[in-house]
Amino acid sequence: MVKKPVKFGKLIRQTIFYLFITFLAMVILLPTYFLFSLSFMSTREAYEFPLPMAPALRVDYSMTYGKRGYLLSVFDNNEGDYQTVLDTNDLEKMSEYMRYQLGAPMSILEIEEHVKLLESGTDPVKFTGKRNLWLNYGTFFSITRNAVPALIRSLQIAAMTIGISLTIGGLAGYAFARYVFAGRDALKFSVLFVRIFPGVAIAMPMVIFLADLGFYDRPIGLSLVYSIGSIALTIWITASIFLGIPVSLEEAAVVFGATKFRAFLKITLPLALPGLAAAAMYTFLGAWNETVSAIILTQFNPTFSVVVYQSLLGSVGQVNLAAAGGLVMALPSVIFTFFIRRYINQMWGGVTI
Amino acid sequence: MQAAAQVKPKQKIWKKLTPYLLILPVVIYYAIFWLRPVLTTIVNSFRDASGAFTFDNYLMVFAERDFIPALRNTAIIVVFSVTLEFLLALFLALLINRKFTGSTVFLFLAMIPMALPAVASGAMWLTGLTSHGWINSLLFHLGFEHKIYWLAGSEASLLALLIVIDAWTVIPSVMIILLAGLQNIPKEVEEAGYVFGGDYLTVLRKIVIPILNPTIQTAVILRLISAIQIWLVIVLLVGFSRLPVLVERIVYYHEEMSGLNISYQMATGYTIIVTVIVSIVALFYLRVSGAFGKSKEAK
Repeated sequence: MVKKPVKFGKLIRQTIFYLFITFLAMVILLPTYFLFSLSFMSTREAYEFPLPMAPALRVDYSMTYGKRGYLLSVFDNNEGDYQTVLDTNDLEKMSEYMRYQLGAPMSILEIEEHVKLLESGTDPVKFTGKRNLWLNYGTFFSITRNAVPALIRSLQIAAMTIGISLTIGGLAGYAFARYVFAGRDALKFSVLFVRIFPGVAIAMPMVIFLADLGFYDRPIGLSLVYSIGSIALTIWITASIFLGIPVSLEEAAVVFGATKFRAFLKITLPLALPGLAAAAMYTFLGAWNETVSAIILTQFNPTFSVVVYQSLLGSVGQVNLAAAGGLVMALPSVIFTFFIRRYINQMWGGVTI
Repeated sequence: MQAAAQVKPKQKIWKKLTPYLLILPVVIYYAIFWLRPVLTTIVNSFRDASGAFTFDNYLMVFAERDFIPALRNTAIIVVFSVTLEFLLALFLALLINRKFTGSTVFLFLAMIPMALPAVASGAMWLTGLTSHGWINSLLFHLGFEHKIYWLAGSEASLLALLIVIDAWTVIPSVMIILLAGLQNIPKEVEEAGYVFGGDYLTVLRKIVIPILNPTIQTAVILRLISAIQIWLVIVLLVGFSRLPVLVERIVYYHEEMSGLNISYQMATGYTIIVTVIVSIVALFYLRVSGAFGKSKEAK
């Protein structure tokens, strides 16, 4: 009897707490949701006000005779009524309009069938078109100049950067974790400093240097630049990983007759693999997300992030296509962040090697 | 016997050399691809076309119409956004401070804003803040039927908008870090504070904050450094030169004005200014975080 009110109070507090958490989650997710939703909307939907809360899955048409040919209307949810969008007798034009403006491709043959129905006396003809939600993604890649090669280049750059920083950074990380030596602190200090050094401050000086090497506007040039920051990061991550693997395991292998290198290869490396994968993903994120150095160090061969940046800049492109580009940009980042979330928190929480 | 005696010191030397050999590639890489280009640029920034020493390149940057606004805007964004972000993140972390069902999902969600590439979040806010964008649409659905022209406001309102956008990006992540820090504090420590008569605020001020301090310091300074370099969202939202900031000036001169013969000097000048500011903050950070001291305990 005495306990009941206490429980009730707890329930209220619990509810308020979860409401609060839900509210926070909503604030975090809403903008992301709208980018997501917009990337699936047809051009007509994307320029409507108010913007629909979600992309439509179908388009309801109504067709009748117009002044110039056939009058096509679509059902508009905001108005709650059919709205005229096109008056033409050119069925090819109508098909194109359905594809690019309404995001619901329909072949001329299919339209002809509805026209026949209209001519046989049904006026108006009502029919529906199925929305192709992925159309924006296809259109973004086909109409944005350079998008596909840029995507490939971005992946190449990321791969090369991972290769360079894992080998060079991994070796140093091992040294920092396993050896005590003179100058260790000074070296570590320098590595941290390089890590914090701004990307632009490396990119600008590299313009002339890369041009001299013949690497300007080429993936290798950018991966050399990105490696500067990611080597430092890789050293930091790998050092903390090797530190966590007991030396005694390696020593035991050596006692049983393995060489030191073999012991490293067969014992320490497999244990370090998850951490090395995290370092690789972190490097990928850095290279994939980076924009300013890529803008400065490329001209005719931009990276994917530069292509998306240019498609957004000056808003020449359509917002729904830009949203599709933005989402393609965001997807790998969010996925990889999920895998390395533990390391990201460590990275922010305190830097110790 | 003699041979064995000779091998031993040799092995010792190798053992001493190993760490240096392992680090050598990094040192060479940084010497070639980092130190040399950076130093060359700094030296060149003090030279005129004929190679003689001059201060003109910098005077040119200082004299530019947008230099002072760029410096001022950057400073405003850095000071206000970092302060706001940390106070709010700490407040939220203290409110949430407990393990709950679904916390793993929530904590991952909170990492998303920070994980979004700058262009993606630029796309998000650009499509939101136009007059027919999703923010006005959302407000419309909630019953506010007047469109707000977010991007047409004064410089001050644009700055406020940017600070809010940056807060959205950063607060969730900082909150997670502080939450992790809070949950590492042993319960007994806080309880001891209450036992000795402290109220919530005293315990917070005298026990919790000091324990969190290293975490906060690291996060604040890393945030300062990235806040100094904000530019992309600004350019995507309002274009170049409308709300100048330091890094935006670099891209502006390098990309948009690349036809001018002074553009390279201007871009370089701005680059060095950004570098100097960031380096000062970075060195300060390395000092307070005790990058030297801690390593000895580590091993």
